[in-house]
Amino acid sequence: MIKKVINKSDISKLLKDANNEYNVYVPMEHIGGDVLFSVLSKEKNDFEDDIKRINLASEKNVNSPKDIFYPQLDTMMEYNDKGEIRETVENSKKLVFGVRPCDFHAIAHQDHFFSKNYQDKYYLSRRENSLIVVIGCNKPPRPNECFCTSVGTGPFLTEGYDIQLVDLGDYYLVEIGNEKGADFVNKHEKYFSDPYRDEIKHAESTKLEAEENINLKVNFNKALQIMKSEEIPQDNLERIAERCIECGACVYVCPTCTCFDVFDDMKCGEGVRCRIWDACVFSGYTKEASGHNPGAKKEFRAARRYEHKLKYDTLETGISGCIGCGRCLHSCPVDIGMSNFIKEITTNQKYH
Amino acid sequence: MKNDYIPYPAVIESIIKESFDTKTFKVRFADKKIAKDFTYVQGQFMQVSLMGTGEAPISITSSPSRKGFLEFSIRSVGKLTKKIHELKVGDKMFIRGPYGKGHFPFEEIKGKNLVFVAGGIGLPPLRSLINLVMDNRKDFGNVKILYGCKTADEFCFKDELKAWNKTPNTEVLLTVDKKTDDWTGRVGVVTELWKDTDIKADNAVAFLCGPPIMIKFVVQKLEGSGFNDDNIIMTLERHMKCGLGKCGHCNVGDKFICVDGPVFTCAEVKKLPKKDGAM
Repeated sequence: MIKKVINKSDISKLLKDANNEYNVYVPMEHIGGDVLFSVLSKEKNDFEDDIKRINLASEKNVNSPKDIFYPQLDTMMEYNDKGEIRETVENSKKLVFGVRPCDFHAIAHQDHFFSKNYQDKYYLSRRENSLIVVIGCNKPPRPNECFCTSVGTGPFLTEGYDIQLVDLGDYYLVEIGNEKGADFVNKHEKYFSDPYRDEIKHAESTKLEAEENINLKVNFNKALQIMKSEEIPQDNLERIAERCIECGACVYVCPTCTCFDVFDDMKCGEGVRCRIWDACVFSGYTKEASGHNPGAKKEFRAARRYEHKLKYDTLETGISGCIGCGRCLHSCPVDIGMSNFIKEITTNQKYH
Repeated sequence: MKNDYIPYPAVIESIIKESFDTKTFKVRFADKKIAKDFTYVQGQFMQVSLMGTGEAPISITSSPSRKGFLEFSIRSVGKLTKKIHELKVGDKMFIRGPYGKGHFPFEEIKGKNLVFVAGGIGLPPLRSLINLVMDNRKDFGNVKILYGCKTADEFCFKDELKAWNKTPNTEVLLTVDKKTDDWTGRVGVVTELWKDTDIKADNAVAFLCGPPIMIKFVVQKLEGSGFNDDNIIMTLERHMKCGLGKCGHCNVGDKFICVDGPVFTCAEVKKLPKKDGAM
C-alpha cells in the first residue's frame, strides 16, 4: 500500500483545488454548533467562509454522509399535464472528505443494497463519480455510544477505502487504498510527501490506542446467535415498545436505513414525483388503503428493525447492518439504542 | 442505466363496472414498441400511477395468453384508486413493471386438479391464472373456483363466473357473508363451501387470495382435506411504494414481497416471522 503524509495546514489548499473539479462535502460547523456534512461553496468569498467552518476533528455529533448519495427528500421525476415525464438524476463529481470508518461501512452497505435486484439509478448515479476520504477515529466521536469494535467497522479501516487519513497531530498519514485514491493524490502531489519510518510507526500505535479508546463493548456475535436460533423474547420487545415514543429519530440518523415513501405534488399543470425517507417504526408505515395494517403492533415494529439490521443483513452480506456508530442511542429520547438492545438480550441485565 | 422508477403511459381501451366499488380497466401501452415487446407472467403486478396523484401496486388480472393488452381490476378505496375510477375510455394511466419473481406456476401444474379460493378483491389476481388455465383447459384435471364476498353486489367478473361454470369439469361456487334480497345463493364464509363440494388433495394444487383472516381459515380447511403446504399457493399484498425491493414497505423477515413474491407457497409463508402478519 502506498503511504504519504500531508500537513494539516495544506488541507484547505487541497480542498480549494479539489473544489474546481468536485463538489466537495466536508463536516462544517453550523449555527448552534452542529457539525454537518455540507458542500463547499463555489463562490470565492463564500468558500473562504466555509473553509473556516470546517471541523474534521469534531467530537460533537456529526451526521452521517448518507444524504449526499441518498437525500432525505429527492425529486425522482418532473412531469406536466400533457403526460411528458423527465427523470431528474444527479451525477456530479463528488469528493466526500472526512467520512468516519463506520460511516464508510454504511456506504458499502448502501452500495450493495441499491445495486441488488434492481439498480437504483438515483443512488448509483450520485455515487458513481464520487471519491471518499476517510478519517479514522483516534477518539470515538460519541464516547458513550460508539461501539464500532464490537461490529468490526472501526475505529480504522483495513481495506476497501479510496483514501484513509490517520491523524498524527500536525499532519495526517495518508493511506491510499485503490487506483482512484492514487489518481487523486497524484493529481495533487504538491501537497503530499513521502512518510518517514517514524510516521508509519506512529500511525500504527495511534490505531492500537484508538481501539483502546472505544469503551462501549457489546457481544454482537452472541446476539446474532440468539436471534438466529429463537425469536426475540416477548418481554424484551414489550419493554422497548412501552418506552418508544415513535419519533423516528433512530431511523433518520441511521447511516444504513434505506426506507422511503413516494409522493406526488402537482400545481398548475407541472408536477414532481419525490421520495422521502420513511420510518418502519411508524404505525402508518405498513397501513394499506383498506385500513388493514399488518405491522400494527409496536413491539413487532421494534423487533423488525433490530432483526433486519442485526440478523438478516448479517446473514445476507456477512457484515452487520448496524455499523455501531451509536447515533440511534445518542439521539433516542428514551435510551432504546441498538447497543442497549444487544446488551439486554445477551446479558441478564435490563437496560430499558 | 435504466431508470426502473419511470412509468410509461397506457391508454384505457375499455372499462367494465364489475361491482359497486370495482372496475376493470383494459389498457394498452401508448408506445407501440413497448406494447409489442412487453411480456408478463401470471401472478405478477404493476405499479399503476396517475401523475400528480400517486402510485400503487395493482395485480395484473388478464391472462398472459391474451396478448397486447393488460387488465387491472381496481377497487375504489384510496386517493389514487378513487381518481382512477373517474377515468374514461381514451384517458391515460401510467404503468411500470411487471414485478414479482414469485409468480404462479403453470407448466409445473399441468395435469393436476386445481382449487382456487378467493375472498372479495382477491379474485382479480387469481383470474390471470384461471383464464390461462381456461385457454389451455385440456392440460388440466378438474377445476374448482370458490369465491366469497361480503355481499352479492361485490362479485366481480359475473359473466366469466358463469362461463367458467359451464366449462366441462369446472365448478364455480359462490357464497356471501351477508344475505341481501337479490341473493338466492349460498350464505356463509368461504370455508362453508367445503360442505357443498368434495375438495380432494390427490394430485391437486390450491391457489388462494383474500384477506389474512380468510387465508388463515382456508389453509386450515385445505390441510384438513389433506393438502400439504407446498401445494397451497397464495399471493400476498402490501402497500409497496416501489416494486423494486427498495422502499422497504413490503419487507417481511428476510423477504421483500414485491421482489421475492408476491406469490409464495404456504410452506414459505410459514417460515416467515409470524409477528410480521404474513398470515
